[in-house]
Amino acid sequence: MKKAVWSGAVATAVLLLGSSTAFAQQTATASIAVTASVNAKAKLTLGLAAITFADADPDVTPLYTSAPVSVSVKARTTVGGNVLLTVLASGDLDSGSATIPVTTLTWAATGTGFAANGANSFTAAQTLGQWSGSGNPTGSHTLSLPNLWSYNTGTYTVTLNYTLTAP
Amino acid sequence: MRRRTLTAVLFVLIFCAFSRPVAGQTRNATLNASINGLARLSLSSAAISFPDADPDTVPSIQATQGPITLTAKARTSPNGSITLTVQANDHLRSGVNTIPASHITWVAGGAGFTNGTLSATSAQIVAVWTGSGVRSGTQTFFFKNLWSYATGIYTLTMTYTLSAA
Repeated sequence: MKKAVWSGAVATAVLLLGSSTAFAQQTATASIAVTASVNAKAKLTLGLAAITFADADPDVTPLYTSAPVSVSVKARTTVGGNVLLTVLASGDLDSGSATIPVTTLTWAATGTGFAANGANSFTAAQTLGQWSGSGNPTGSHTLSLPNLWSYNTGTYTVTLNYTLTAP
Repeated sequence: MRRRTLTAVLFVLIFCAFSRPVAGQTRNATLNASINGLARLSLSSAAISFPDADPDTVPSIQATQGPITLTAKARTSPNGSITLTVQANDHLRSGVNTIPASHITWVAGGAGFTNGTLSATSAQIVAVWTGSGVRSGTQTFFFKNLWSYATGIYTLTMTYTLSAA
């Protein structure tokens, strides 16, 4: 009988000892390395693909003015990277043998980073906007052309090429 | 006479042989089986990566590795709570440039698993269960793709912790 009592006490002690370990909080950890690649990018969107100035009396309308053309610039570059938007004309306004100097085709722009005023050129790209670092600036610009009595009749055309660069 | 004596001796021997095991059946034997708390976590991949993409066409980039499988094994008390969390060691970093860790999110699959957003400041719940068992689920990670990011290769480390209370 005495032996049985001691056996029971020992068994209880073993169970108590085991239970302190059994209910302790257990943890396990693991890790994952994450990599994200962000490369340089540039995207330019113009609100119009063509502008037309209808014929008008120079005395009544001395200056042709287009509707505002929206410009959306999207660029990813380095911190402080120079994001540049330029425009270069394909030539003078041309109608067969008659021309109108493209330098008289001017613009007025609105929007942060856009050049408020400028004149087109076919010899050197003109800066329409400039920004620092990545982002999505937007603005608009209108084109104007003097309407002179001295022009020869004809339909004059020119193509303006816009270039957005992000280093 | 000699035969009777032999029979009596055999009877005594047989009686003794059977009587000892009968006395042994009254004793007790105690079996102690120790089942302690335990937690084990395994992941199907040690790394994930988000490739470069045009933010206009892919505003949310899925990790190249696809769904990551997580397997949690835990022993705990009856109705004990088992929790799996994840925390970033920092924001996504490329030199001095950073992108918030919260721009990484996940979609979860599996019982007990939940969708979430990564954080560098506090552990986020990935899954919760009750009681011991082996559970598996998946996490598919996505990276918010913005034009405003500076170019670079950004990295961070996610640490998972499985706790069995």
